[in-house]
Amino acid sequence: MNDLLIPVLLILLAPLIGGLVYGFERIIKARMQRRIGPPLLQPFYDFLKLADKRKMIVHSAHAFLGIMHFVSLWFALAVLLLGGDLILVIFLHLLSTSLIILAGYSTRSIFSHLGANRTAISILAYEPVLIIIAVSIFMLTGSFDASAAFNWDQPLLYKMPLAFIALLLVLPIKLKKSPFDVAEAHQEVTGGVEIEFSGIFFEAVYTAKWLDYVFCYTLVFLFAGNNILLGIGLMVFTFFYLNALDNSSARVNYKQMLRFSLTVSFSLAFINLLINIFT
Amino acid sequence: MYPLITSLFLVPVIVSGLLLILPKTVARILVITSSLVLAALSLYVFINLDGVLYFGVPHYVNDLVAVADIVLLVYFGWIALRRRSWLVGLMTVLQFGGLLYVLKILPADHSLQFMVDKLSAFMFLLINVISGIIAIYSLRYIDEEHCSSFRKKHFLSILFWFIAVMNLVVSSNNLEYFFLFFELTTLASFLLIGFRKDELSVKNALTALWMNQVGGVAILAAIFFIIYNGYGEATFSNLLAHASASGILLPLALLSVAALIKGAQLPFSKWLLGAMVAPTPVSALLHSSTMVKIAPFIILRLSPALKDTPVATVVIALTGFVFVAAAISALSQDNFKRILAYSTIALLALMIMMAAVGTPVTIVAALVLILFHGMSKCLLFLNAGILERVFHLKQSSDMDRLGESGPFTSLVITIGFMSLLLPPFGAFIGKWLSIETLGALATDKKLLGALVIVAVAGGGAVLSLLYFKVMGLLIARTGDHDKIRFEKTGLVYAGTMYVLLGLIILSVLGLPLLLTGYFVPVASQTLGMPVAVVMDGWNMHIGAMKLPMVPLLIALFLLPVTIITALFIRFKNVDRVKEYMCGEKINYSFSSFYFSTDRATPYFTTTGILFFVALIVAALI
Amino acid sequence: MNLASYRKKSPWILHYNAGGCNGCDIEILACLGPKYDIERFGMINTGNPKQSDILLVTGPVTKRSRERLVEIYAQMPEPKVVVSCGACACTGGVFRGMYNCEGGVDQYIPVDVYVCGCGTRPEQIIDGVVQALGILEQKTKAMEVSVRLQKEPLKEEGQINRRNIADQIKPALS
Repeated sequence: MNDLLIPVLLILLAPLIGGLVYGFERIIKARMQRRIGPPLLQPFYDFLKLADKRKMIVHSAHAFLGIMHFVSLWFALAVLLLGGDLILVIFLHLLSTSLIILAGYSTRSIFSHLGANRTAISILAYEPVLIIIAVSIFMLTGSFDASAAFNWDQPLLYKMPLAFIALLLVLPIKLKKSPFDVAEAHQEVTGGVEIEFSGIFFEAVYTAKWLDYVFCYTLVFLFAGNNILLGIGLMVFTFFYLNALDNSSARVNYKQMLRFSLTVSFSLAFINLLINIFT
Repeated sequence: MYPLITSLFLVPVIVSGLLLILPKTVARILVITSSLVLAALSLYVFINLDGVLYFGVPHYVNDLVAVADIVLLVYFGWIALRRRSWLVGLMTVLQFGGLLYVLKILPADHSLQFMVDKLSAFMFLLINVISGIIAIYSLRYIDEEHCSSFRKKHFLSILFWFIAVMNLVVSSNNLEYFFLFFELTTLASFLLIGFRKDELSVKNALTALWMNQVGGVAILAAIFFIIYNGYGEATFSNLLAHASASGILLPLALLSVAALIKGAQLPFSKWLLGAMVAPTPVSALLHSSTMVKIAPFIILRLSPALKDTPVATVVIALTGFVFVAAAISALSQDNFKRILAYSTIALLALMIMMAAVGTPVTIVAALVLILFHGMSKCLLFLNAGILERVFHLKQSSDMDRLGESGPFTSLVITIGFMSLLLPPFGAFIGKWLSIETLGALATDKKLLGALVIVAVAGGGAVLSLLYFKVMGLLIARTGDHDKIRFEKTGLVYAGTMYVLLGLIILSVLGLPLLLTGYFVPVASQTLGMPVAVVMDGWNMHIGAMKLPMVPLLIALFLLPVTIITALFIRFKNVDRVKEYMCGEKINYSFSSFYFSTDRATPYFTTTGILFFVALIVAALI
Repeated sequence: MNLASYRKKSPWILHYNAGGCNGCDIEILACLGPKYDIERFGMINTGNPKQSDILLVTGPVTKRSRERLVEIYAQMPEPKVVVSCGACACTGGVFRGMYNCEGGVDQYIPVDVYVCGCGTRPEQIIDGVVQALGILEQKTKAMEVSVRLQKEPLKEEGQINRRNIADQIKPALS
């Protein structure tokens, strides 16, 4: 029962943890730009303010799909934290992204439609890499379960360095950070799929972003195996790397993103897979 | 059991003959009742069949089959002369020569010509149930076609005759009988593709004819090599019995070539794409749910012999390549039926790959994919027919108002696409099992396993992009009114949709039962070894793979229930506001994005041809 | 928990230029920069009326931009405040009386804070926004409509339809 306690706590507190990570990220981003930045609990102030707005939607299907996107992302995170099958986790994440894409397509809004197009294309950029990484983990640990990776004696990072680099190159796409944030390009498509949500319905999408942070950092934590300190170290390193990359790079367009991801990240993950198969 | 199985062969033939002469109302009743009867028969056979049933027919039937073969080839030759098609003529001449030579050297056979095992019963179920639904659908579809009423009766008659031929194909043991039935399906395909008799239909029907005839030549060559190498009679059971003999690879490779051509793998995919000009029930029946499933069926029959051979390696590599290539080619298409055709080719490649790997879990995966893909593609193609008839839409870029004018149709198409892609639906389970077992494959066949995993991962992502692209056009709605009024498409169309939807949802709910009760026994018998299925707590273990049931059940609520609820839910006392368009008030229509694959297509074709050559070479060395 | 007190902790701004010369716009963007940093108050510049609380308007309202101004104002959920930045937005400024301007934002939408200056300074803008936050805390969620050029929102099927609020004066206006 005890080894279920920590994952269940993490699952229940995931929005809070994600919110704190997001708040801390805004502070770090501001400090990198020589500004002061908002207070740490700013995401929660945003949350509470959004709860107090007059409710407005475009139509009910759109709002409902946004809420279900949040619910299914929480569920995908729950399966990952409980040590479930990695391929299933990747497909459940795909399910939640598909719900937000459907929400984006369901309104007759140009920006929403463009954002949904771009989100669909960015799926093509990151999903094959994640599946190859999951298969590499299978080659090492003999099982597709995340719990096998969490309990592995030796950190997976030593045998899978290239896969870790591929994961780092793919995380900006998932978390919608520069240079790969075409899906949510604020200056181009004013937020993409999030644009038609407002008030409490926007909270669902906003909180889903926080959950995405927890999801991605858990994927990074997988590479540390049994070693919790190394895992925390990897997460901190990834955090600063992502923010430094976000603050210092410009956005590329979707063709360049696809080309980069499918040539560089995919090749790195594939070479790592070959190394794991042949040794 | 014998009378039931023979009635599965004879009832469609009798119905087919009767449909040519009966008046319309009686014909309708006959179609509906015979569909129900056939479905019930196949279900009963499937449930009650244990072991393998061999049965034979009197010797004069052999002569009848030979005569039928020759008559068929004469008909093909006449077509070649009449339409001045040198390719068809060439293939007919080759087949004729091959057939006559084979007939000369064919030994007197002692074993029985028909074999019905659980795999055949599984295919019976798929064929008869899906064909029944499509036959009822085509009652209305063909009624609205612009042709003489005799041609309409002719259409239904050929449809039922095709059902009989398909039942015969999956139960024949003797390879010469198999050749006849294979060529009869080619004939049915030719007649039905050219049904509308315009220039494009005739051209595409001829393409389908000669490409499938190449498959027929391959079967004849396989029979020749079996006899030449001295294995005895040309039957499937004999072939499997000689699984470790030397020189067995060449007949296996030739039969695999026939399977790959029937399954429209590259470079032979042109015929399936051209077949989309046929009336939609034809596309649904022949070219997605039943006839092209002969391809994985042949490989499944041969899998005990094919496993771990160089031929299997080349087949796996070829189908992995086709999976990615077909998915990428689909991104350039606008015509809705062609998108579905490319996606069929891609998923057939996955099924053939699973069958060629031959381990217990992959065979289960292939069976799961065959059944669920058959149901989902049937649903999608029948909807393509509804779109064509009721809404007059063929290109997917015209479909951006469908969410408002046809909410039920767009909901069904969305669920159809989702059922091919995402948990908890069966096609996803098949894909998931395939990724997991390819991981296991990579432990011994290292480079092949790695490349194939890459192909499946990449192709799967491209297919998701493709489905989202099309789904996006279907669900756009304005927010003026929340109340959904389902459009009236008519009893037949709406009824068949509800039946298929119900089947898909039921099979998802009953997936654990289906796995233990149906798929695994079929796989065990096909492989000849028992496949362990254990329910342990909340997981189901199939062989070495673990399938967690609880996440799949929750995914059931998260996906199809969500989409259906999203259509009906209404938030009360919430303002409705316009979409953000920078304050403008303009009207616009959406299209979708397309990738141009013109530069890649020659490379795909060339690689496909190289793979086929490699297949024959691998069998010879 | 008094949710209204969180409104001033996380005000999101929407910045709209109703035909101005961009002078005030540059100053507003400078507020987001490192020197004046209004993100320390939790303000983000969203590009989207549906997710913002404060509407910063610059420029005299030209005839082309007035319908869009009213539409954007209608798409913002209550509680909302309007801050008109610059002399042109307050009274028409240099362009008062011209044939194509209407003489200030308050001809069309109710304004809560007027920030004057021709090229308003960032310090003035921040001062104005902070005053607007105090007003924002007092507001309710009752619907606020524009002063002119609006169609009555329809109530149908248990929902208020706020679509296409700006009325068209001339059909050929596009």
